[in-house]
Amino acid sequence: MCSCGESRRGWGPYAPSPVLFLSLFVSAAPFGLLGEETRQVSLEVPGWPDHPQNLLHIRAVGPNSTLHYVWSSLGPPAVVLVATNTPHSVLSINWTRLLSPEPDGGLAVLPKDSIQFSSALVFTRPATLSATFWGHPARDPAGTFANGSLAFRVQAFDRAGRAAQPPRLLHTADTCQLELVLAGASPRGNRSLFGIEVATLGQGPGCPVIQERHSIDDEYAPAVFQLDQLLWGSPPSGFVQWRPVVFSQEQADRDSALSCQASPLHPTLAHSLPPTLAHSLPQSPVVQAFFGPQQNYCTFSLTFGASTGPGYWDQHYLSWSVLLGLGPPPVDALSPLILGIMAVALGAPGLLLLGVGVALLLHRTHPSEYRSIT
Amino acid sequence: MEEEGEEARALLAGGPDEARSGAPAASQVLSALCDPSRLAHRLLVLMLMCFLGFGSYFCYDNPAALQTQIQRDMQVNTTKFMLLYAWYSWPNVVLCFLGGFLIDRVFGIRWGTIIFICFVCIGQVIFALGGIFNAFWLMELGRFVFGIGGESLAVAQNTYAVSWFKGKELNLVFGLQLSMARIGSTVNMNLMGWLYSKIEASLGSAGPTTLGATLLIGGITCILSLICALALAYLDQRAEKILHKEQGKTGEVIKLTDIKDFSLPLWLIFIICVGYYVVVFPFIGLGKIFFIEKFGFSSQAASAINSVVYIISAPMSPVFGLLVDKTGKNIIWVLCAVTTTLVSHMMLAFTMWNPWIAMCLLGLSYSLLACALWPMVAFLVPEHQLGTAYGFMQSIQNLGLAIISIIAGMILDTRGYLFLEVFFIACVSVALLSVVLLYLVNHAQGGSLNYSTRQREEMMVSHTE
Repeated sequence: MCSCGESRRGWGPYAPSPVLFLSLFVSAAPFGLLGEETRQVSLEVPGWPDHPQNLLHIRAVGPNSTLHYVWSSLGPPAVVLVATNTPHSVLSINWTRLLSPEPDGGLAVLPKDSIQFSSALVFTRPATLSATFWGHPARDPAGTFANGSLAFRVQAFDRAGRAAQPPRLLHTADTCQLELVLAGASPRGNRSLFGIEVATLGQGPGCPVIQERHSIDDEYAPAVFQLDQLLWGSPPSGFVQWRPVVFSQEQADRDSALSCQASPLHPTLAHSLPPTLAHSLPQSPVVQAFFGPQQNYCTFSLTFGASTGPGYWDQHYLSWSVLLGLGPPPVDALSPLILGIMAVALGAPGLLLLGVGVALLLHRTHPSEYRSIT
Repeated sequence: MEEEGEEARALLAGGPDEARSGAPAASQVLSALCDPSRLAHRLLVLMLMCFLGFGSYFCYDNPAALQTQIQRDMQVNTTKFMLLYAWYSWPNVVLCFLGGFLIDRVFGIRWGTIIFICFVCIGQVIFALGGIFNAFWLMELGRFVFGIGGESLAVAQNTYAVSWFKGKELNLVFGLQLSMARIGSTVNMNLMGWLYSKIEASLGSAGPTTLGATLLIGGITCILSLICALALAYLDQRAEKILHKEQGKTGEVIKLTDIKDFSLPLWLIFIICVGYYVVVFPFIGLGKIFFIEKFGFSSQAASAINSVVYIISAPMSPVFGLLVDKTGKNIIWVLCAVTTTLVSHMMLAFTMWNPWIAMCLLGLSYSLLACALWPMVAFLVPEHQLGTAYGFMQSIQNLGLAIISIIAGMILDTRGYLFLEVFFIACVSVALLSVVLLYLVNHAQGGSLNYSTRQREEMMVSHTE
């Protein structure tokens, strides 16, 4: 297996044909604060004549707070998450500034003093990782994505629930799910591995750590006992959560599950001197517009699959789901079915044993039987 | 030498007294080995009998040792993978009744053994060819043929043992045979994965051909067993001529109509048997990947821990046998064994504790249950129905294994390992309920299943007066 650093091929400007799919979940009555039951969710695509579909704004309103997710494909795919403590905050977009080379201040959530938490995630480089092309530098003119597509499916939720598609991540009203689907791209080698590089804003001196949580529960993602999460702040005011599994078929089941490995986060400067390919990050105008000129990012990369066994080469399809949201991440619990079966399985013999014990105790008071005379 | 001669007389009634003196040592040893009435010869025969079952038990668990490779190379999901175990069990639902009949009336013990081992060898070869030709249906056929020979071979092995060792050593011989079988399973678990990687390295790639080659090499153990069977047949025939000993018979009489006479305690014992064994063998069949995925073990370590149940049962079966013989109270021992298995599966399901603990507990309880459960049938059933009762018990055990193997595979594909473990816990719970009910029924009927050894001896004495 190659190490992700050296053999990665860069992709300067982002994809020729990204497609954003939208899912809409609109609901009934709102409820509670950040971390509470339901929210009123709305999606809008703010338009501008030349860039009609490159921005998606999801607004999840609760009685005391609002969550804003701004997804964009201007530049690399990115999302800005903002949480405010009022149900009346709005997103204001200054398109001329946003589309200019210096987009600082082009995006804002008003009123500014109501912002409780904000962060961003940028998917800087989808790339082909291939052991056979180890160490080759160079740009990528090979037209890998000529016939394929990289799709970002975004789903926002109004209430807690569980996704129907594996890996069936548990979501709440404070979360948003992204499904990354890579289809049809022609790999460069026989057993090329794909991966993706993800950047997030560096907060504070070091970079956060990806936590691997091991659990006993693999009900919803068979044979995957691990949950990876990246927390912003402590106590966590935001998170990114995913299961280290990626599926190589649309019919996502255990046969098509591949491993997904994440490298640790390392700090990256947006521009390094002298500028080298390996270290310059594609900039997202939306992130720059909201946060101002940012130099410190923390990046990690995910590798999909392994060099042996099933992989992308089977059906030229890969799908990976990740959940991001605000507040503490949702925690999986055992399903009621399992708890019910365990209750019966342990309860019935237990009760019977108890009954037998009691009956035996009572019987001791009876006189012993006569022995038959042979 | 005197003692040897006396021992030979005591253990093999009617054997001629051999008091040789004055002959040189080397030829004395040789003559001891060649004389069927002498201990040395019978030890040779014992060794051959033990290796008789080695090949069959070695190859039975080949799928478990190579689960990852089979699922990857043949591109099957877990449900289809478990069919390899189900097909082994299907023929034995019927053959358990016919084994005794075939050995006593049709083939005779010598030819019977050779024929059964030939089925084992041919089955394993077909299984391997399924890999080489990349045809999963051929692998299933191979396991079916393998199954026809495998279980009946155990009956043949036992018949040989009774024929040569009737008397006090019989339990020891049964124990040794079982231990050898378990050693075969253990060696398989730890060897086959390594063998596959070696063949992959020499052939240059993984794939169905590599798998088939590995299985063929594993089948060499079956050839070894075949040689033992041929040698054993020759020695048995020779002993018959020298000692005028009769050819061994199982003495089993199967009358299916006897089934209606089975009492409630016996049916409860059947339920315990099925409910218990379906959480041991299918679990071991699927265990390797469980230990790799949940506990992060390497492939080699996962194979090792999967074989712990067999490793422990090899020495502990005779020990527990002695324990149960000395103390009696079979139902209490069965209760202990079933409860320990329940605890073991709960540890594996709901905790991340080191699985070595749980697997050792499983191994101990598995050995204990075998020693305490099967003799109870003999206490409940008159001698002329014993063959039918044991045949029926093995038949439904195989039926349960065949069905539950498939269900386990399906559960794993759709719901994962936690749900599978909960399912197994439910099965053990059914067995546990049955044990408690058995205790109640036995107590209410004034039965003798739970007597201590002394009580049982008193009962035997009072019956013969």
